Amino acid sequence: MNIWSYIIKRLFLMVIVLFGVACIVFFIAHVIPADPVTALLGGNAPDEVIERMEEKLGYNRPLIVQFGDFMSGAVVGDFGESLRTNNPVIEDINTYFPATLELTIFAMLIAITLGLILGILSAVHRNKWIDHFSRIFSIIGVSMPVFWTGLLLLLLFYYKLDWLPGAGRLGFFTTPPEQITGMYLVDSLITGNWSAFKEALLHLLLPAFCLGYLATASIARTTRSSMLDVMKQEFITTAKAKGLSKRVVINRHALKNSLIPTVTIIGLTFGSLLEGAVLTETVFSIPGLGRYITAGLLALDYNSVMGGTLYIAFVYSLANLIVDILYAFLDPRMRT
Amino acid sequence: MRKLNVAVVLILVFTMLFGMSSFARLNTPDDALVIGASTEIFISLDPAICYEVLPARVVNALYAMLVQWENVDEALEIKPDLAKSWDISEDGKTFTFHLRDAKFANGDPVTAEDVVWSYKRYLQLGSPSVWLLESVGINQDNMDEAIKLIDGKTMSLTFDKPYAENIVLGILTNSWGGVVNKDVALEHEVDGDMGQGWLTDHSAGAGRYVLDKWERNTLITMSRNENYYGETPNLKRIMFRDVPESSTQRLLLEKGDIDVAWDLAPQQVDEMRGTENIDIIEIPAHSNEYLAMNASWGPLQDPKVRLAIKYAIDYDEIIEDINAGFALKVQGFVPKGYFGYVDQNPFEQDLAKAKELLAEAGYPDGFEVEVMTNQRETRKAEAAKVQADLAKIGIDAEVVIMQASQMYGKYREQGHQMVVAGWGNDYADADNLAMAMASYEAGQLAWRCAWYDDYAAMLAEKGRFEPNPAKREQIYEDLTEYWFLNGPFAMFYQSVEFWGVRSELKNAYDSFFGYSMRTNFGGFAK
Repeated sequence: MNIWSYIIKRLFLMVIVLFGVACIVFFIAHVIPADPVTALLGGNAPDEVIERMEEKLGYNRPLIVQFGDFMSGAVVGDFGESLRTNNPVIEDINTYFPATLELTIFAMLIAITLGLILGILSAVHRNKWIDHFSRIFSIIGVSMPVFWTGLLLLLLFYYKLDWLPGAGRLGFFTTPPEQITGMYLVDSLITGNWSAFKEALLHLLLPAFCLGYLATASIARTTRSSMLDVMKQEFITTAKAKGLSKRVVINRHALKNSLIPTVTIIGLTFGSLLEGAVLTETVFSIPGLGRYITAGLLALDYNSVMGGTLYIAFVYSLANLIVDILYAFLDPRMRT
Repeated sequence: MRKLNVAVVLILVFTMLFGMSSFARLNTPDDALVIGASTEIFISLDPAICYEVLPARVVNALYAMLVQWENVDEALEIKPDLAKSWDISEDGKTFTFHLRDAKFANGDPVTAEDVVWSYKRYLQLGSPSVWLLESVGINQDNMDEAIKLIDGKTMSLTFDKPYAENIVLGILTNSWGGVVNKDVALEHEVDGDMGQGWLTDHSAGAGRYVLDKWERNTLITMSRNENYYGETPNLKRIMFRDVPESSTQRLLLEKGDIDVAWDLAPQQVDEMRGTENIDIIEIPAHSNEYLAMNASWGPLQDPKVRLAIKYAIDYDEIIEDINAGFALKVQGFVPKGYFGYVDQNPFEQDLAKAKELLAEAGYPDGFEVEVMTNQRETRKAEAAKVQADLAKIGIDAEVVIMQASQMYGKYREQGHQMVVAGWGNDYADADNLAMAMASYEAGQLAWRCAWYDDYAAMLAEKGRFEPNPAKREQIYEDLTEYWFLNGPFAMFYQSVEFWGVRSELKNAYDSFFGYSMRTNFGGFAK
C-alpha cells in the first residue's frame, strides 16, 4: 500500500469519526432536561412569549427533523445561528478560533521543547539529579490545575515582578495587526508590525507556558521511557561498540527511533490542549473558542455548542491525521 | 559541556525576551474610565433588543430617552430627559410629550418622529422584552393609533387604561426606550431589519456617549458625545475591558491597570477591604431573593402553616453568613428605593411561635416537603438553611437541586411545593412587584404559587390606577401588611451590588447609585 491509499483510508475513517461526534453532540444537547428558550428569555417572560420564541427557533419540531437539518448544514459548515450572538456560528468560530489555535500551537512548542529536552536528559542520565528534577517537574505539571498555575504565574510575573503583562492578547492601547490569519503573531510578522509582534509575544508567554506545562509531563515521560527502551536495543550497543561518540549515538541512532510514541502523544496532546484551553483563556482574558463554547453551554445555546465542538473535533482529527502520516514517514513498517 | 550549552541558550533567550519587556505598561489614562468586566453577556447594543443588566446600562449611556430615573436622596424618581414636559389627558390614558431641543451625536436634531419611529420599531422587532409595553396596552396591532406624532416636537402615547403616571413612565425608562436616529438607522438598513444588524455594535443616539468600537470578548469603548444636550460628561472615554475571571480583575485593579473591577466575589471584596488605593462601593440592587410556597399543595394551603415557616427562618444568618453581609434586609415585596417601599421587617426567627402556629393548624409533628432550587451557590446554601431551620419545628424538608430552566419550567406549571428563587425588576415602582407577587390575575409569581387571593389582587389592581401618589403609597402599605400575614412568600433580602474601584476615581458612589437600573457614566471623574 502506498502512502496515498493510506491517507485516503485515514480520511475515510475521519469522516466516520466526525459523524459519530456529530450524533453524540446533537443528542446529548437535545436530551438533557433543559429548555434553551426559557434560559434565553429569563424567568420573568410570559408564556405566550415563550411559545412565540419556540416557534421562531423551530424547537417544537420533531427531533429527527432537527437532526436532519443540523447534519445537512454541518456538512457544508453551516451550524445555524447562535442564539446568544445572533451571528452564524461559523462566523463566530472564525472570530474566536485563531486566538485558541495560536495559544495552543505556542503551548505545544513550549511543551515539545521542554518535554523532549527533559525526556532525553533524564533517559541519558537515568536516576541522576536531572532525572529526579524532571520527574518532580512533570508531576507538578500534571497535578496543578491550569487555573491555579495561571493565577500563580500572574501573581509572580505580572503583579510582583512586573515583567509581563496581565491579561488579554495585546496591550490595551495597541492596535491589533491587520487581520490575515487572525493569529496576532503570524499577522504581525507578515505585515512587519514589530511593536504588535512584541506585544503579542509577551502577552502569549504566560498563558502558553501555563497551558504547555500541562502537556510537558506526558511528552517528557513518554520520551524518557521510549528512549530507555531504544537504548537497550542491540543496534545501540553496536553503535557504541563501533566507537561512535555518545552524541551521535543519542542524536542519530536513539532519538529518531524513540520518537514514534512521542509523536503519537504529541498528536493526542494537541487535541486535549485545544479543548482544555478554556481555563487558560478565562484566567488570561483571551477571547478564544473555548470560552465561546462554554458561554454557549451556560446559555443553552445549542447551535454554538454543537458547531464549536464539531469544529474542534474536526481540527483534532486533522491533527491526528497529520500525526499518522508523520508516523508513516518515521516508521516504514506502518506503510505496509 | 553540552548541558551547559543548553542552559546558556535558554538564559540568552529569556534575557532577550525580558530585555524587550518594555511592554505597553500604562496606568489608566486621566481622561478615561477603564472597567474590567466579563463581557460575555453582551449580545446586542441595539436599544430595542438589549435586555441584560450590564449591557442595558451601556445602552443607557448611548441613548437618551423621553424620561429617565434619577437618584434623589437614595430613591429613584422620574425626571425629564428628551421630553422637557408632559401632560396627561383627562381620562388619564393619553400622555402627550413635549420634546426639548436636543441633538443626536451626529448633529441631527432629535424630533418627535424619531421617538415615534423608535417605539414602533421596538414593537415590530418583537424583542424578548416587548411584553413590557404590551402590558400597558400598546402592541404591534394598535401601535398606529396608540403612538402618535403630533408635530416636530410633540408626540403622544395612549394606553388601554388610566395607569398611574409613575408606572407608565417607569416602563418607558427601560433601555428599549432609547431614541434612535431614524435617518442613520435606515441608512444602514439591510433586508428591512430597520438597522438592527448595524445597531448591534454601532450607536445612533443622543446619550452622553457614543459607541466607538466593540471587539467581541475583548473590549468596548465609548467616547463623549460632544453634542449632548445636558451637562458635559466628565470623562472623555469609557472602556470595558473583557476580563472574565474575577481573580484576574482583582490583580489588574490592585496594579492600577483598570479603575473598576465589575464582577468581584464577596470573599474577594472582604479580603480587599483596607487595601491601599482601593475603595469598595456597595449599592442596593434591584432583585429580591425569596422562598415561595405553593398555596395549593397539602399543608401549605393553610396560611398559618405558611406563617409558621416565615417565623422559622433565620433571616440574619442568610444575610450575614451565606451572603457575607452583601444583602439588605427587606422583607416586603417592594425593594428599597422604589416608589411604594414599605419600611417594615416583621419577621425574626421565633421557633416557639412557629411551633404554636403549626400546632394550631393541626400539624404539631410537622410534615414532609420538597424545596427546589437551582445550581447557584448562594441559592443552594439558602435552601439548605431553610431545610435546617424547618427541621427545628419538625418539618422534614428535602432539597432538590436542578438546572435553572428546568426549575422555572416546573415552577411555571405550579409543580413545586417550595422553591428558593429570585426576581429581577423591570421598573422602579411598587406595581411591578405587587402585580407579580400579590395578584394571581397577572399570571406571574402569585399565580404560580396558586395564591388565588381576591383581596390582594384587588388592592394590587387599585394601586395601578390611583392617580394620587400619597394614596397609592397607602394602598401598597396595606397590601404589604396583608401579604406578610397571608402571602405565600418569605422574602429573604434585597440583593446588593458591589465594585472594587481605584481611590483616584471620584464620584464613584453617586455615579453607581441606581438600583441596577442605571449607572451615570457621565458622573465619574478623575
